[in-house]
Amino acid sequence: MSLIGEVKFEFMRDLGAPALMRLGKAGKKRARRPADPHFGPPLKCAARLKQIMTRHYFLARYAPGARPVAWVTSGAPVELLRVLGYYTIYPENHGALCGAARMGSRLCEEAEKKGFSQDLCSYARIDLGHFFSGQTPAGRLPKPDLLFASNNICQTVLYWYKALAHYLKVPFILFDTPYNYGSINEADIDYMVAQAKEMIPTLEKVARREFNEDRFKEVLDLAKETSLTWGRVLATMKQKPAPMTIFDAFIHLAPVVSLRGLPVALAYYQLMLEELEQRVERGVGAVVNERKRLMWDNIAIWFKVREFAKIFAAHGMNFVAATYTNAWAETIHYLDSADTWRSLAKAYSLVILNNNLNHRLGLMENMIKDYAVDGLVVHSARSCKPYSVGQYDMRRILMERLNVPSVVIEADITDSRHYSEEQARTRLEAFFEALED
Amino acid sequence: MSDRRQDYLRSQKALGRHVLGVFPALYPRELAWAMNSLPVEIWDPPLAGAQAHGHLQPYICSVVRLGLELILSGQAELCDAFLFPHTCDSIQNLASVVHDYIGQERPCYFLYHPKAPVGPSARAYYLEQLKRLAGQMGDGLEPLTDERLARAVAQGQEIARLTAELYAARAEGGLATGAGEFYRVLRRGEWLWPEDHAAELGALLAAGRHAATRPRKNPGPRIILSGIVPNPPEVLTLLDELGAAVAHDDLLGCGRRLLFTPSQASDPWVALTEQYLSLPPCSTRGDSIVARRDRILELASASGAKGVIFLLVKFCEPELFDAPILAEELKTEGLAVLPLEVELNQGLSGQTATRVEAFLEMLG
Repeated sequence: MSLIGEVKFEFMRDLGAPALMRLGKAGKKRARRPADPHFGPPLKCAARLKQIMTRHYFLARYAPGARPVAWVTSGAPVELLRVLGYYTIYPENHGALCGAARMGSRLCEEAEKKGFSQDLCSYARIDLGHFFSGQTPAGRLPKPDLLFASNNICQTVLYWYKALAHYLKVPFILFDTPYNYGSINEADIDYMVAQAKEMIPTLEKVARREFNEDRFKEVLDLAKETSLTWGRVLATMKQKPAPMTIFDAFIHLAPVVSLRGLPVALAYYQLMLEELEQRVERGVGAVVNERKRLMWDNIAIWFKVREFAKIFAAHGMNFVAATYTNAWAETIHYLDSADTWRSLAKAYSLVILNNNLNHRLGLMENMIKDYAVDGLVVHSARSCKPYSVGQYDMRRILMERLNVPSVVIEADITDSRHYSEEQARTRLEAFFEALED
Repeated sequence: MSDRRQDYLRSQKALGRHVLGVFPALYPRELAWAMNSLPVEIWDPPLAGAQAHGHLQPYICSVVRLGLELILSGQAELCDAFLFPHTCDSIQNLASVVHDYIGQERPCYFLYHPKAPVGPSARAYYLEQLKRLAGQMGDGLEPLTDERLARAVAQGQEIARLTAELYAARAEGGLATGAGEFYRVLRRGEWLWPEDHAAELGALLAAGRHAATRPRKNPGPRIILSGIVPNPPEVLTLLDELGAAVAHDDLLGCGRRLLFTPSQASDPWVALTEQYLSLPPCSTRGDSIVARRDRILELASASGAKGVIFLLVKFCEPELFDAPILAEELKTEGLAVLPLEVELNQGLSGQTATRVEAFLEMLG
């Protein structure tokens, strides 16, 4: 880290970024979209979210030289990096951003030109495509000093980050979380704790800082509180009408994924929760005429979020639960600053995608009951094997056990070439009819 | 001995042995043998049925699809239990589907093995996992003793020794056996009892060496095969017909898991652990691409191979991530590379066959 880099970063953080954002706000006079009659008033906190995420990506450009930079997977125990002051970038979050900006397929093609198959995860292809072409809607991503992944969300991240490490020539650290076929045991936890401790010297070396156990406890507490608050945000959707939709949650989960363990994320969710609780108190729903309540399974179809929100709202249907958004609230309560290492291992290895399918089925059953769900939309995401293999059976069983109608949409998280408008429309029409029966 | 797998399995069951259906890829065969159980590996059963479509999306690889089809179609009835090593996301979830959702009642066992980059903790953990697996299997198969395990480890080492000898003889040009025959015999180890397989390997070695003493006319180009398994089998037939010699391989189902370094440890658990850690670099374990590249380069250099054919099973993520980088690196080092996307048991299209022919012609 250099003194000049540090000064530049501090300047941009404290003065440059706020000034530029004020300028940007003044300069952009976007025509306001006409209000959609099917939606309630938009969330006011969305403006703050945009500010936080824009600032995060903007400052990222100045991080090299001032902060150690790590590219991190969404399920990795980032708390270890926070202790050492890493500036973290989440390629999955960036992939979602590219998908939402409809740049996904274009970036995927950049990776495909280098021989990466169109059958690979599109987050990975976007990330590699960005590496090869430099294209991004986020301005510029900083080159990492370190790659940090956990295979608790998929094995794909292992192959993907290995490829990145090859190109970027930077250290790659994997937090290997044994898959929970039945239950995790002490040997699994011992293994994860040992790994976490083994990686500290490399993390310290890259960061040129010493790991501090007291700071670790503080970060764990902060991350835990952030995730719990996110859980409370999601729980507001148990109310009828729900004060937000899961499509809102897809967007608003960015801080708990990307900024977990930092005060800004907690402050944001406290603000959001306050607004949602006020809406609940006043009976303000996200969908004006909420007649049916739905659950979403799998990652969002990022390039279709807005359209899907509109289609369902027009039918008086609101998504009030999703296994995906719940993932950052489900296990973090295991974090315990009195038992730092073991609680970290537990919290990160018991996440939904590192668990057997019966666990997920049980979770879905509970959510269907707790959120009074009338129907289920299953996104069969070509990119995501651990989320998708088994969905057909789970859908069948949920119908048998709870009599919940469902529909499968075959699509992708960001690559729009794997989405058929016609097929989706036909399936949704049949689903809407089934829900009205 | 029967050439038909089903007949052989029946004869083994008549001897009082259990049959354990095993999904790819890395697992300790010795544990099953020591429990008087015959591991029968499910890589690429030649099926055409479509029952698996009701459970799996179209974008799931044919290894997983055919494996599930085998069970759903009732053709795995001789299996008393199933074992699922943690190979990739699709096999990981398939384990849950088979265990919980398709209504079959047989026990399912699971093996998690540590992923690279491995630290010191991985060794202790893998050893622990072996014992955990043995504990699970002990409930359904036969009890394990250290003596039985030690004997099974020795059997595994004998197979490994013979396999290594076959590979070495082939690499040196001292084995006049076509690729079709080589892999046919090698892959019979996926379902034969170790003594039976050892006998066949020994016979192949002797016959191949003897045949190699006769002069060969215009030996064709030497290549390395990479990928999951040597399938579709028509690839091997074509290579043999065109006179190409497969000098070595980087196939998950073959060289990448069979060519371990036999351990000298007296404790059989330690020996199995050391042997697992000594395996060649593999995409499913997360080993570095550089390590894999270096191994292929060494194999090429030692065997005189001039090109590499990648048999890439469609939708196989671990391989599809490694392949473009490996191909680029190998080309930089002067090796010719031919990536072929394949579906298991779907034969070779005319276009693919032409590409193989052109590739071999280019190698001279």
